Amino acid sequence: MNNRLFTTNSSNDDTHQKPIHPAVNVNFQREWFKELQQRIEHNGPWDQWSMFQLAMEAREATVIHSFDELLCLRSLPSIEPMPHQLETAKRVLNEMGGRAILADEVGLGKTIEAGLILKEYLLRGLVKKALILVPASLVLQWVRELNTKFGIAAVAQKKSHSWGYEIVVASIDTAKRDPHREVVLATDYDLIIIDEAHKLKNKKTTNYQFATQLSKKYCLLLTATPIQNNLEELFNLISLLKPGQLGAQGEFNSNYVADKRLPKNEEQLQHILSSIMIRNRRGDGGIHFTKRIVRNITLELSKEEQALYDAVTDFVQQQANQDGIDISSILSLVTLQREVCSSRDAVFLTLVNMFKKTAEDSPVRARVWELVEVIRAITSNTKAEKALEIINECEGKVILFTEYRATQEYLLQFFEKHNIPAVPYRGGMNRGKKDWMMDIFRGRARVLIATEAGGEGINLQFCNNMINFDLPWNPMRVEQRIGRVHRLGQTEDVNIFNLCTKNTIEEHILHLLHEKINLFELVIGELDHIIERLESKEGSIEQRLAKAILRSRSSQQLHEEIDHIGASITTYQEDKINN
Amino acid sequence: MNTKQIHRFVLKYLEATQCEILDKSPYHIKVKLSQAADRELTNRPYYWSFIDRLNETPETMSFLFVTDEEKYEATVAQQPVEEPKLLTPEEKAMERAYGIVPKPLPRIPREHLHFGSSRLKQLFESAENNGSYVCLYQEPQTRTLHPYDSRPYTVWLGINYMVEFSCDLKREEIHSLGISLVTGHCQEQFYDRLTSMRLSPRLPANVHIAKNGISYTKALSIAESHLEKRLKSYNYEWAEKAQARLQEELERLEGFYKPLLAQATDEEQKLEIEQLKEKREEEIRWQYEPRVTVSVINSGIFHLDGID
Repeated sequence: MNNRLFTTNSSNDDTHQKPIHPAVNVNFQREWFKELQQRIEHNGPWDQWSMFQLAMEAREATVIHSFDELLCLRSLPSIEPMPHQLETAKRVLNEMGGRAILADEVGLGKTIEAGLILKEYLLRGLVKKALILVPASLVLQWVRELNTKFGIAAVAQKKSHSWGYEIVVASIDTAKRDPHREVVLATDYDLIIIDEAHKLKNKKTTNYQFATQLSKKYCLLLTATPIQNNLEELFNLISLLKPGQLGAQGEFNSNYVADKRLPKNEEQLQHILSSIMIRNRRGDGGIHFTKRIVRNITLELSKEEQALYDAVTDFVQQQANQDGIDISSILSLVTLQREVCSSRDAVFLTLVNMFKKTAEDSPVRARVWELVEVIRAITSNTKAEKALEIINECEGKVILFTEYRATQEYLLQFFEKHNIPAVPYRGGMNRGKKDWMMDIFRGRARVLIATEAGGEGINLQFCNNMINFDLPWNPMRVEQRIGRVHRLGQTEDVNIFNLCTKNTIEEHILHLLHEKINLFELVIGELDHIIERLESKEGSIEQRLAKAILRSRSSQQLHEEIDHIGASITTYQEDKINN
Repeated sequence: MNTKQIHRFVLKYLEATQCEILDKSPYHIKVKLSQAADRELTNRPYYWSFIDRLNETPETMSFLFVTDEEKYEATVAQQPVEEPKLLTPEEKAMERAYGIVPKPLPRIPREHLHFGSSRLKQLFESAENNGSYVCLYQEPQTRTLHPYDSRPYTVWLGINYMVEFSCDLKREEIHSLGISLVTGHCQEQFYDRLTSMRLSPRLPANVHIAKNGISYTKALSIAESHLEKRLKSYNYEWAEKAQARLQEELERLEGFYKPLLAQATDEEQKLEIEQLKEKREEEIRWQYEPRVTVSVINSGIFHLDGID
């Protein structure tokens, strides 16, 4: 029963109310007494004495002795929260009345904190009905984490009857639409958790409007983006949680806002913020990450491979210089070049597809066929040989990332030939298969060959060697890859091997990522803010790189272009540090 | 509850529901559930409605409940692996004909019962639901009674109260009271007294029940006013603080919505803001309002030796 239903002033047959203190009344529930009288009248049925004692024992075991001691720990044998996570949970429960913004930096375990708080409220009986709103791609991950780590019977919202369950995980975009909207808005939720809450910063959006109309007792907003950057957005987010905490809109503007991005009376603002927001940082004491050891391995392509690379480069330049070419064709052309650096299988597959797509009488067909002929000459893969060497030298398990399916297939066969047990992992697999692959990797396989890292996060703390067979162009994707192994719970230093071929675009990319952005040594979590701000102003990094590559006539010129892109990222980086 | 207490609890529950214990150690219990326990625990309503309608003999489920995972694993590791049994002639024939020998034993699901596990929670709830009302008689302490003597027994109303103190936080207390229906006397820690004696559902020989001086309803109100007096003597700083927080929050809301209402241009907009404000106020009350709720875990009629 929802404890909201019981109103303070009514006293009926089933409850009996008396004042015991100016601040509070006592309610005696009397339903049981009627039942007892009935049983006396009919002389039964009576329960067993042993069951009566067991009932008392059960209740004595679960009685909540104090207001503030954390109960959830003793019923969570499968997780060991970090000190900062426990501290956060305690503060939200005991000092913030269960309404807070959890704004830890990426990778510090906001989900764990939210789970601890939810579990604690459930154990105390203060929460029965809870709603967890997350981006659609994270629904299943949340459900899985709550089920396995916290023993909370959360259910993913799939059909309209799913809303009837006590703890529901849903995407906000579904929840706000008919026919769900009506059901959700008519329900009183003891706790609402909103993940990626920075998406609710604009109060004109339908999502924001929807969020204000929800009925809630406790509320947690999870975000990793430093919303302090925009005061208006900060105000909106806090108004969802505790309207008036920063005063009315007018007061807020005159008290704290000097300019859109520039606060005044900052100390006072920080003080108020600390009563409603918790932000743990990596730099804070007690949060320890192991080292990243990065090795760039530069390889010379074999004569045949180099011949293919040159032929493809020629072809790409020629095609790109045609009139009326759009950005997506540019990207796919450059992809050809990148694929040569990965494996002949990857480039072959793309060429075949290209061949099929072009008109029968097009001169391009003949050109493509010539390239395929060049591929035939290649008999070995320089990178694969090197990867094999690294794996043989490494102790323990190795995760290998590649961008291309065809390369993945090739490597599976290659490793099998050399008696190294390897398993694939890719986005297209269903959940069950992914879990299965992960189990094999945990068990007898030595190598995991993965084509994707993000989204449905895979956590591989038990593995501390990683090979980047080829590098994605987007620094964020590289960071996501590394984040799979280099995260809280990793006990060893993490070895990262970047395979890079000389005299190819790869060399330039690695130059950008490694020397310009200093990506591999960057503190985890900083990068996403930088990239987000950069991309919102100047377009995606992949597109900028592709254009630069096609524009450049010489390796030297390309080098300069890439330096330029690197410099713009570094500017944002410094910006952030200065803030 | 530590693992030992959990083990004891589970064993007692299974015995109370007449389950058949197949095998046990201090760390595990292998059990074939009784019908009653199966209906209570396995969540198979369709199966049971099928059995009931067709009057079939039910096949209840078996479980391996492990209460101490670590020690159980250790003992299992020590045990020698069982030799595969030699096939009987019938089984050999089966194997020749079908290539397989059907396994007679179904797999027994294994569950780790730790504090906080859903199965243990289910056992707790089941116990609470099935141990609510009792009617019991104390067994005579001495056998030296003269056959024609009759001992007087007093009827007691025993109540185990759960007191909940809550605002946005919560704590609980258990109070066990017994009220003598002969004298109206109210005794604290009554449950402790009960657990120290032998009780049975049948009236013993050579015993007579003293006449009740008060009604059950009167006994109830004695218990409630006793508890009320106890509760009045408590410290309610937490409730005062919660009230203060509540007031503070309400004022904050007022400050937030007042300018918005003043700015509202038309009635419709005004109404909308008004409703939102009310909603927020209601939520805050729901969140912070202090309350003390007294509910009952279980209760019973106890016939105890002597007049008091």
